[in-house]
This record gives sequence, C-alpha cells and structure tokens, in this order.
Amino acid sequence: MRMKAAILAAVMLVTAACSGAPPAAQQSTEADITLSGPVSITLWHALSGAQQVALDGMVKKFNDTNGKGITVTALNQGNYTQLYQKTLGAIQAGALPELAHAYESFVADYMKADVVVDLGPYKDSKTNGLTQASQDDIYKGYYDTNTFPQYGNRLLSWPFTKSLAVMYVNNDILKELGKPVPKTWDEFEATALAATKKDASGKVTRMGFAFNTDASYFNAQVYARGGTLMATDNKSVAWNGKEGIAVLQMYDRMNKNGSGYTPKSFDFQSDLATGKLAFFFSSTSTVPFMRDLATATPFSWSITNLPQAATDPAKAKTVQFGANVAIFKSTPEKQLASWLFIKWMSDPDQSAQFASTSYYMPVRKTAAESQTLKDYWAKVPQGKQGFDLIQYSSPEPNIRGQQDIRDVILNMITEVITGKSTPDAAMATATTKANQIIKDAQ
Amino acid sequence: MAAEVIPANVRASPRRRLPIEAIQAWLFLLPAVVILGVFQIFPAIAAFYMSLFRWDVVQGSFRGLGNYTDWLYDNSIRSPDFWRALSTTFSYVIFTVPLEIALSLVLAYLLFQKMRGRGIYRTVYYLPYVTSFVAAAAVFFWVFHPQYGLVNDVIGIFGIGPQRWLDEPNGIFDLAASGFGITLPEWLAGPSLALVVLSLVTIWHYLGYQIVIFLAGLSNISQEFYEAARLDGANERQIFTKITLPLLSPTTFFVFTVASIGVLRSFDSVYVLTNGGPLDTTRTVTLLVFKTAFQQAQFGLGAALAFILTLVILLFTLIQFRVLGSRVNYG
Amino acid sequence: MERGLPRLTTRPRIGSIAKHVVLIVVAGIVAYPFYFMVTSSLKDTLEAIRTPPTIFPNELHPENYTDAWNRAPWGRYFINTIFVSVSVTILELITACLAAYAFARMKFRGKGILFTVFLATLMIPSEATLIPRYVLMSPSRVACAGLPCLGWFDSYQVQIVPFIASAFSIFLLRQFFLSIPNELADAARIDGAGHLRFLWSIVLPLSIPALITAGLITFLGSWNAFQWPLIVTSKPDFRVVQVGLSAFRQEAGSSYHLLMAASTFVVAPIVLLFLVAQRYLVQGIARTGIRG
Repeated sequence: MRMKAAILAAVMLVTAACSGAPPAAQQSTEADITLSGPVSITLWHALSGAQQVALDGMVKKFNDTNGKGITVTALNQGNYTQLYQKTLGAIQAGALPELAHAYESFVADYMKADVVVDLGPYKDSKTNGLTQASQDDIYKGYYDTNTFPQYGNRLLSWPFTKSLAVMYVNNDILKELGKPVPKTWDEFEATALAATKKDASGKVTRMGFAFNTDASYFNAQVYARGGTLMATDNKSVAWNGKEGIAVLQMYDRMNKNGSGYTPKSFDFQSDLATGKLAFFFSSTSTVPFMRDLATATPFSWSITNLPQAATDPAKAKTVQFGANVAIFKSTPEKQLASWLFIKWMSDPDQSAQFASTSYYMPVRKTAAESQTLKDYWAKVPQGKQGFDLIQYSSPEPNIRGQQDIRDVILNMITEVITGKSTPDAAMATATTKANQIIKDAQ
Repeated sequence: MAAEVIPANVRASPRRRLPIEAIQAWLFLLPAVVILGVFQIFPAIAAFYMSLFRWDVVQGSFRGLGNYTDWLYDNSIRSPDFWRALSTTFSYVIFTVPLEIALSLVLAYLLFQKMRGRGIYRTVYYLPYVTSFVAAAAVFFWVFHPQYGLVNDVIGIFGIGPQRWLDEPNGIFDLAASGFGITLPEWLAGPSLALVVLSLVTIWHYLGYQIVIFLAGLSNISQEFYEAARLDGANERQIFTKITLPLLSPTTFFVFTVASIGVLRSFDSVYVLTNGGPLDTTRTVTLLVFKTAFQQAQFGLGAALAFILTLVILLFTLIQFRVLGSRVNYG
Repeated sequence: MERGLPRLTTRPRIGSIAKHVVLIVVAGIVAYPFYFMVTSSLKDTLEAIRTPPTIFPNELHPENYTDAWNRAPWGRYFINTIFVSVSVTILELITACLAAYAFARMKFRGKGILFTVFLATLMIPSEATLIPRYVLMSPSRVACAGLPCLGWFDSYQVQIVPFIASAFSIFLLRQFFLSIPNELADAARIDGAGHLRFLWSIVLPLSIPALITAGLITFLGSWNAFQWPLIVTSKPDFRVVQVGLSAFRQEAGSSYHLLMAASTFVVAPIVLLFLVAQRYLVQGIARTGIRG
C-alpha cells in the first residue's frame, strides 16, 4: 500500500511539475489544440431506463451549449457484458466509436490493442485541461481506479457513473428491536441474529442479512475489516488474509443460524421493503429502486457505511465501483471533442445535475455546494448519506484477469454458503486459482 | 409396352440426362449455397483462422494447434475446464433429449387423434416455445424459488425439505443418498440439481415445438396403412408399435438429431437461467466459449474450443446417422 | 374434415378419460409459467412481487400494459420485427424448398459432401462465428480477407439476409421430400414434367404440413432472435422486440408487473399466429388426402 502511494505521489508531482512547462511529447501537443470546425462523436454506453434518460438530458444540454460545434450521440449497447462484446468486436473490425463506457477491467483489455487515449496530457493541458484546484476537487479514489500500473500508471479513463458499496437498513425493524445501526461487525452479527424470526415449524419468516455472492461486496467487507485486496506488486492477491477468512466465517455462522439467506435476483430489495429483511449490502445505485418500492409500501430505510473494524471513523473504508469512460484513439480533433465532453460532465454543475437525475455519485467535493444537489438531497436523504461516504471508498483492482478473479470469489462464497467447503478450504482453493489467473493474464 | 408410352423427348440416353440434372440441381442449390457460404462458412473459416493464433484482444503469434492442445491436455487450467464442461454438456443432453422425445411423441400421438379441444391443447403445448427464455426465466426463478417457490411447496406435501434448485451445486445422487444418511464419494454424486432443473426447463420449452414436428410426421403416414392394419385385426398397441413408430422414423430421426445438436449447442437457456453456476456445475462448453472469448477476450482459445465442440457434435451426429439412420424407414 | 386417426370407438371409455386426464395435467404444468406471467402482468406493483405469490390478482390492473407500452418505442420495435420475420420466413422457405428438393430427388455429384457441409453449419456454435460475422457487417475496408466488408450495421438487411438460408429447414424438408412415393415421380417424368413443375404441382402441395412447420419455426426463430440483432443494431430505429424486452428487463428492476406485461405483449402475436396457423396445418393435413 505504501509503494502504491509512493508511485501515486510521484505521478502527482510530475503532473504538477509539468502543468507549467511547455508540452514536449507528441501526445501533449494533441491535447492542447483547439477545434477548427464542427465535430461529431459517438458514445457507447450501457445505461438504460431512468439513467439513460438522465444521460440523454446531459448530452442534449452539452450539444446545445458547448459553442464549439461538438455534437455527441449517445447509444445504448445493452448491458455491460454486451457493451464489452461489441467494443471487442469493434476493435477487430477497426470500427470503434470515439468514446465508450467501460469498467476498469475492460479498459485494461482494450489497452492490449493499444486503442485507448492517455488522458493525463488532456487533464493537465493548459488550454483544455483542469486547473490544479479543480483536479484536487475530484475524489482521489476516482483517479486511482483509472490509473493503470500495468500500463505505466497512465490515466486511461475518466470517472463517469460511479457508485459505492453501502449498507441498506430497515429502520422499522431496528426500532422494533430497540437497537442502533451496528457500527462493528460483532454488533452487526448480533443485530442480524436478533432480527431473525422463525415460525412454529422452524421456517425463517424474517431474515437478518441477505448474502451477496458478488465479489465487489466481498472486497468491500475485506476493506471494512481493515484488509487489502492486492499485494503491493500486484502479482498476487491479499484478500486471503485474516480479514477475508473472517468474512467467510461470518457468512458460515449466519448461514447455519438462519440469520443470513441467499436471495434470488432482486428479492432482497422487496424483502427489505416488506419488512422481511433487516440489512443488505448494495450499491448506491439501488436507491431509486428502493424509492419505487417505498411508494408502493411505505417503510423507513437509510443507507450507511458498512460495519467497520477501525474504531476511528476517519479510517472507515468501503469499495467504490461503477463504470468510467474511455476515449479511443482517432483524430486529434475527435479526441479533443471527446475529452471536452467528459470534462464538462465532471464539472461541478453537471456532476451535481447528473447525480440528481441518475442517482450516481458526483465525482467532486464541491458538487455538494450546488443547489441542484441540495434540493435533490432534501427529497432523497439517502443520496446525501451516500455522498458523505465517497471519501471512504477505495477502488477495486483493475488488473487484467480481474473479471475471472471475481468469478473465483463468487464460487468461493457459494461454496461456503451451500456448505460444500469450510471457509479455510474454500479460501485456499480460491487463492491458488486467483494467483494463477494473475500469472496467466500478464 | 413401356417403350411406346415414353415420349420422344424422354428417350434420351441416360448418360446425357445426368449432367443436365446436375446443372439443374446446382441451380436449385445456388441461393442456399451463396447465403450459407457467405454468412456461415466464410465466418467459420475466419474463426478457424483465429483459432490458430494467440489472439488476446489482438492477433498475436501463430500457435498452430497450440490452442487446441491447451484445451485437450496441455494446460493446467484449460484442460480440466474443458473436460468438466464436456461432461456437463453430455449430462445435459442425456437428461434432456430422450425424455423430451418420448414425451413429445406420446403427446403428439394423443393429440393426433380426433378428440374435442385438440386445437386448444396444441396451442397450450406450443406456448412454452413461443415464450422467449428471457421472459420464461423470470417465471422459473419464481417457480423454483428456494424460499417461496411453488415446487418446494409441492414437494413439502410429500415430506421432502425445501431445495435450492437452480442454486444447488450438489449432485442429485448425493442429495438423494444423504436423505437416507448415506454419503456418496464425489465422483458418484451425479449432475447437480441445478442441471436437472435446467433440463426440465429445456424440455418444457421444446415440448410444443417437437410435438408440432411429430404431428406433421404423423400426418404424412397414409391412412391406408391404418385401415389395412385394422382390417387385419390389429389392436391399438400393435398399430402404434408396428405401423406408426416405424413409419414415423424419418421424423423421429430428424427430431432426435436436431434436438441433440440443439442441446449440445444451447446457450441462451443456460446463460439466462444459471450462467454456468452454481459452482460451474452447469457450465456447458458453449458457456465456456463465451467466457473465454467475451470475458477474457481470448479469441484464439475461444474459437479453438468452439471448433472442438463442433467436432464433438459432428462425431455424435455421424454416429447417430450410422446407428439409427439404418433403422429409418422411408416408406 | 380433419384428418387423424379415426375415433377409436372400440376402446373402453376409461381409456378416453385417461387420455384427457394425462393431456390436461401435462397442459396445466406446461401452461403454468405462462399463466403466472399473465396474472402477474395484471397485478399492482406490490402484489406482483409478493411472496408467496397470489394465485389470482386481487384487483385487475390492465393499465400496466399501457404503462409498459409507453416506456419504450414498442410500436416501432413491432413493425421492425414483423418486417424482418416475415421477410426471413418467406425467403427462407423458398431457398429451402429448392435446396431440399435437390438433395432429396436429384442426382448430382458431391451431394453427400455438400449436405454434410450444410449440416456442419448447424453444428458450429454461433459464439465462435460471432466476431467474424460482426466484422463482416462492419464498415471496415480491409478486414474481410483483405476486401471491404459489407457495412450493414443498423439496417434491415443485416437482420434478414444472413438468414435467408438455413440448413435446418433444408434438412427438415429433405426428410419430407424423401418420403414422396417414387411412383409419383415416375408418373410425372412420364408425363414430361420437369423437376420444377414436379416440385411446384406435386411435391409442395403434399408437403404443406412440413412447409407450415418449417415456416412457423423459422418465423419464431426470427421473432425471438436476440443476440444477433443486439450486436448489429444500436439505433432504436432498427431495433426488434426481444432486444427491447431485454433492455426492459434491466430497467424494470422491481417493477415486475410491467416486465410481465411487456413479456406478454411480446409473446401474444406469436400465440395468435400459431392459433391461426395451427388450423391451416390441420387443413393442410386434410388436403393431402389419400393419394398414391
């Protein structure tokens, strides 16, 4: 962790030093040009429903107001897997769009074909970039996740639709139990067990906690217990330490005493809403779905940070996820137009507006000062609850092979909750597989 | 006399008729050849080309058959993955096809007879096939729900505890045995309950489709055969086994072939219902191809695996043609 | 009059009842998911996700259908889907009839090999050829073995042309054409009829059940196609219903009642089509009559 921080410090220093110096490399010249005429660019994304509407609104506003003749067309390509498929196909066909929505692991893959633009020069460009103050306003975690150590620590994508892992709580149940929101893992387990109700035949009628098999929530729990995910050299995993084992052991105990259960698809949302469930972990992007449920059946809920091992609240941690946007190599003009769009999206006003319509997190701290966001938070208090936690969120690994490692973690958790393996055995198998994947993917 | 009846233009020498017929045949085949050639065969050749290279997002070094040997025996991760996926795929076929065919044949036969409401029955049986897996999956998640599902309620009546169905990675023989307190060794555990549920859903889906094909086949059998058999005093069972089944054999053969190929190749049903889980117990070869190509971006390996599967299917079909084809009566 | 096995009047009544019982039970099991889908589509938000589910909606909410309809350009999706599916079905039947006839009733060299090659196209999983087929449709100028590619993204032809021929239909029809009695063929030849006339006047009328079957299956395959249209179209103008439904599934979240409503109206046209076609299937069976 210290090594990574050192590298990052070095990068920031070099960046700071360069922001005053005249551009030297070929690419920084590209970043400093100005547009000579109208430009049309296409964005491929994986947003649907209300979020797509939100994005379309932003795109329209940009097209109408950018004053530089840039026209953006945003096209939905299905879900993230389908978007990834299509982008890979487009690489083979040599027919990429100018920008695409992408998870970090996708970007790592696209970079194998060397088609992704380095955003560092654009970010630091005197003509087109961000001021130092503006750069610092963006949460550090968002830079970290888009910086790729395996590609020379270059900034290859920009935060776009970010969210974080939080705990959803049914306040009515807690009130009934007379218990506060749990702050430590022991409190959490105890409260979940207290919330569990069984009927005469032993069938569980109210559950404490809904298990997630998704790797991101495992990662979040490892962070929250004070652990790390990857070794500093990124060549092996670190989630197999005592923190990871503790997560599996907790799942094992909760599975056996009935306080935890495995939901199907989105069951956990309706279970919490109908008072059948006390806690679940999910993304801040689940907020709109819970709000919809709340209109159908009123219930009191809130989101808060995961229980933590650290007693100092400043040391709290959770996982940050959500996708970013990458710019593909094309002409300098198109690349610049693309950069100007994503920069605009991340500016304070737009970041606040997009956050209030899409339920994604704003990318910068000063967004909190915007009236739009304040009004939104008045209507949706959970929005503010999420926002306050961004500073505690850290990214997941962005190395090649991470998608496969997620599958390994999923299987590891499934083995424990279906009783096929003990936590130790499941962890051992998973660690071997994960390390092998890392080796093969480099 | 035959010679007087045959008109002049047909009395051409047999040798001269063949080439004209051949030309005509190729003309008949031209549209199919062009379309299949451009849109199926050419891409297949391109995919084969890709399978000869390390193709990790972009084209890499030439590997010859290296990708193939990786899957078959050479690689410590890929080879076990392949053989496990192949075994899963075959289990899927074995649990699905014979039952599917037997059920649809019997139902088609019942529906073929004059009775009231058979139009309605046929439509009802066809409903699953028209319902896309995307829509059907949502329903099946409910029906087989581990907590609230209908099936758990039903088996509860018989005293069997609730099952995890699509989420159950343990083998069915193992589950059954543990009900009696016996633990079976790993290799006897059998396919996972999830795979069995997948088979049931697949049978449900294709039932109507196969019934329709069997109905068409049944209608092709001339009434004369039945009348003659009845006149001879044959009873229903004899008619079914000695007349219907043999004369239906071209259709049965067709259905069997196509159903097997279909299940060996199936992707949508598995992807939507289990996506290879739980614990990879429903990871068929097609799913492994998908994961290799579209999650790991390893196109060379993905293509190679797809061709290995194609060879397996081809072999399987050729064996079927050989073993069953000889028993087909073309009437 | 519908053709079928003559009513078995010599059978004891219990057999007939047993038959109906079997058919009804199986029909019930088979239809249950569909029933579940339709009843869920008429429930309100909360009842639709209630566990355990209610057997019949407490109140009927037909406005779910208009709600779901208004959430996406379904009208456009339906027009696209109908156009594509009808085109594919008609064109595919034509090419399949010609090809199947050639395989079943003509002699020519290389028949066996060509048929095997055709069958082989059925065996290659589509995942393998997805990328090459995608590249084939791209606007690239060099990626197609050095030649320009077709550039058919976001169009109707990209969803129609690749499916104009199918080894499946050819195989199906071949099996049928093979069972046309040889006496008929000989008689036709004696009458001086060429292959085309024989095919048109004799073989096709005799094969109406097979044609309708193949047509139904082709139409349905096209209607339910999802992976290919998704990957080759981005613009809503050319999108088809399954792609729309898949996107709807994502955004519906807990709005299960709306998802079920959308699923129902996507399925409904096909069910109606089958109800109608199934009658012609039967009439077709009757028309073949007793000949030869």
